[in-house]
Amino acid sequence: MEKYRANLLMCAGTGCVASGTPKVRDALKAELEKRGLADEIKIVLTGCNGFCAEGPVMLVYPEEIFYQKLTVEDIPTLVEEHFLKGRPYEKLMFKDVEKKHAIPLMNDIPFFKHQVLRVLRNKGLIDPDSLDEYIARDGYLAAAKALKEMTPQDIIKTIKDSGLRGRGGAGFPTGLKWEFASKSQADQKYMLCNGDEGDPGAFMDRSVMESDPHSVIEGMIIGAKAIGASKGVIYVRAEYPLAVQRLQRAIDMCNESGLLGENILDSGFTFDLEIYLGAGAFVCGEETALMRSIEGQRGMPRPRPPFPAHKGLWDKPSVLNNVETLAQIAPTILNGAEWYRALGTEKSAGTKVFAITGDIKNVGLVEVPMGIPLRTIIYDIGGGINKKKKKFKSVQMGGPSGGCIPEQLLDIPVTYEDVVKTGAIMGSGGMVVMDEDTCMVSTAKFFLEFTADESCGKCTPCRVGTKVMLDMLTDITEGRGKDGDIETLEDLSRDIIGTSLCGLGQTAPNPVLSTIRYFRHEYESHIKDHWCQAGICSKLCSFHIVEELCKGCGACLRGCPQQAVVGEKKKPHRIIQELCIQCRTCYDACKFGSIEIKPAIRQEKTALAAKDEGGK
Amino acid sequence: MADDVKILVVDDEPIIIRSCETVLKSEGFNVEGVLGGKEAILRMEQTSYDLVFTDLKMPEVDGITLIRWIKQKRPDTGIVIITGYPSQDTIKDALEVGIIDYVPKPFTPAVLLDVTQRAVEWIRRKAPVEKKEKEGEFPPSMLQEIDRVITQYKNKPGSSIPVLQRCQQIVGYLPPEIQKHIAKGLNLTPAQVHSVVSFYSFFTMKPRGDHNIRICLGTACYVKRVEESLNKIKEELKIDVGDVTQDKKFSLETVRCLGACGLAPVMVIDEETYGAVNPKKVMEIIEGYA
Repeated sequence: MEKYRANLLMCAGTGCVASGTPKVRDALKAELEKRGLADEIKIVLTGCNGFCAEGPVMLVYPEEIFYQKLTVEDIPTLVEEHFLKGRPYEKLMFKDVEKKHAIPLMNDIPFFKHQVLRVLRNKGLIDPDSLDEYIARDGYLAAAKALKEMTPQDIIKTIKDSGLRGRGGAGFPTGLKWEFASKSQADQKYMLCNGDEGDPGAFMDRSVMESDPHSVIEGMIIGAKAIGASKGVIYVRAEYPLAVQRLQRAIDMCNESGLLGENILDSGFTFDLEIYLGAGAFVCGEETALMRSIEGQRGMPRPRPPFPAHKGLWDKPSVLNNVETLAQIAPTILNGAEWYRALGTEKSAGTKVFAITGDIKNVGLVEVPMGIPLRTIIYDIGGGINKKKKKFKSVQMGGPSGGCIPEQLLDIPVTYEDVVKTGAIMGSGGMVVMDEDTCMVSTAKFFLEFTADESCGKCTPCRVGTKVMLDMLTDITEGRGKDGDIETLEDLSRDIIGTSLCGLGQTAPNPVLSTIRYFRHEYESHIKDHWCQAGICSKLCSFHIVEELCKGCGACLRGCPQQAVVGEKKKPHRIIQELCIQCRTCYDACKFGSIEIKPAIRQEKTALAAKDEGGK
Repeated sequence: MADDVKILVVDDEPIIIRSCETVLKSEGFNVEGVLGGKEAILRMEQTSYDLVFTDLKMPEVDGITLIRWIKQKRPDTGIVIITGYPSQDTIKDALEVGIIDYVPKPFTPAVLLDVTQRAVEWIRRKAPVEKKEKEGEFPPSMLQEIDRVITQYKNKPGSSIPVLQRCQQIVGYLPPEIQKHIAKGLNLTPAQVHSVVSFYSFFTMKPRGDHNIRICLGTACYVKRVEESLNKIKEELKIDVGDVTQDKKFSLETVRCLGACGLAPVMVIDEETYGAVNPKKVMEIIEGYA
């Protein structure tokens, strides 16, 4: 292997690629060649680094200097400064917000400092298309150990003792799942991987499959040995083309080098693995639905029992594990259950990957030990709300099955149990942060739209119930809410939760219940005062300029699509309500916070509407 | 919006033509009138119309004959009948040759406008789709390719989804004829194949445009108000989600989270991902594809 004096690890995850990695890479390559450095400095394209908001990002080894927001224009100076003159280029480094100085080293950046990488151990470090690089990071050592030195019982015991729980959402102990399936007698068993990441706002599985596909395959080999499966399927969303491509290449490489197929590593163990492309149905995240889908049918869940550990895919015992769960298997087998338990809490052991997105400064993927306070994730790692003057309102956890956690609960430790107590769920680890400009009724409606649309239609409570709730929420956000609606929503929620067939319906009302629980006043003000205080529901708000605060800068006037703002420069402006369409443009444009959101102006609206109809 | 819709009114009573002109022109429609089927055909040989309003009972060339002619020569034109005899039989005849709607005589301006609006929506929605399905023929090379896929998967259990995925790649969409063809090849009933096609959002029975625009409706994109961009696109391209523009350049779809939340709000055109979009930016990007 050739040696290079520096390795440039450029992130080639979906986020950075969309932000421009390919162009920057070409520019960098050309510049290195031009300067005669191509033999000394190597560019490596890695999987997702996690710090998506700052992309394209690059890590320079051996110094571990982190560059962000690279542009083609900056490349000549970067190469000259850093690689010719030996002076790291400050302009492209991460800047501390308060002190405004540059932070050169990746591990000093707050976003990375608090993280402990287990699942993401190879993120941004190795070329996902290189089997050698995975092996160099202790890859397939655990598989070798499991296949050659351990019995299925040993493997199951280690995983059980580690306390690892399924990372797909419900948190069922993985070791226990494996034990059930291993005890089932059958001529054929299946080891399955759920890469049908469906929760909007969560993208850790995509990241793992893209940046470290071998870690998933290795976890599956070990699981297959534990339960006695000779066939495996990875079910991946078709919307993740890069993940599919990298997994396929990884599987091909394993087949060629004897890590998959017959008699793996001369252990006598056989395991065939293939990819199955999902076709876009959220409900296929549910295990029985996913298996139906692999069988080529509509992905509809069926009642359990029988559980898949006894009757799963093609009616054979099957285990379905989530991508993130499987990526933790190899290091746990290698280092032991105690090592795994050393992080996290008694009941929620190890680390968890979270995707933090929304109105937050440092958007990206982070892996932290379980049990750390939610506040640490949002403020220390995430850097808090991304707009200076806006306040935190809520963080949504668990996607359409989860709930919204308000400010006052931010100090809870992040564990399965504590999150459930708030009315949210751990889910797959999506955290969507919302600032004060978010309307919680609309947010609940957004999730209900999702579940109503994705309900497979098999059972009535879910199919009809979600639709009825959605209609009620639509009425509330459009000014047709009535007294008693909140109570009806609560009642309906309880019924849907209690009577739905699968997890989708059983959790669908959660976003509504949790927003009613913490933001009941918003529902009330929508219904009683016709007032959406965040100014999102356009029929329930009106915008007014506070004269004392208006500087007459004209930003609102220029932006208004209706020419509804009038006023002279440097004098307070005014909004003509009859022309205003509540598009919020002025509110977003105003730098002085001089635009006030008041309840909808009802009488005039009605008069206008009447006039409208009369005209026809 | 209305002024790009060309309407031809055909009736042997001048008063009807005049009143249609008065009502529809005031709403901005481009209206012309002729006094019989023969004149209508002459006129339509010269120029095309989006909509034709025609009486049924007319001397020389009657309404049904005119409609048959239009269906054959000008299949993109939408037809609405105006009739003083909305009897079962005449309507049935007209329906058989294919009309959008009818206006009973006498009518009020509100009725006429209402029917017109709906007819306009109908042709906007329907025009690009219907044509393709009518053609109903697919190049033999395409069918051969489909057959190769079927042979490859034929003996594999549960292969309907991968086969459909590959066939959609080949044809671009999955019209009923192709579904039947696949069902036959895989030894399934057409209903079984259709049950899969209709369940999964990946499959589409409508052809897509040259460029497929997908807007992410994930939570992160929602919080960053992707809806404003979506509405802008709908407004500018004059299409709804799931539709194709009249020139077949663009189709518009929404997706549930593309897993690129760091870039929210996200738009994907074909395979290209665009992050941090807003109403202004999306239109600039789309114009780059036009």
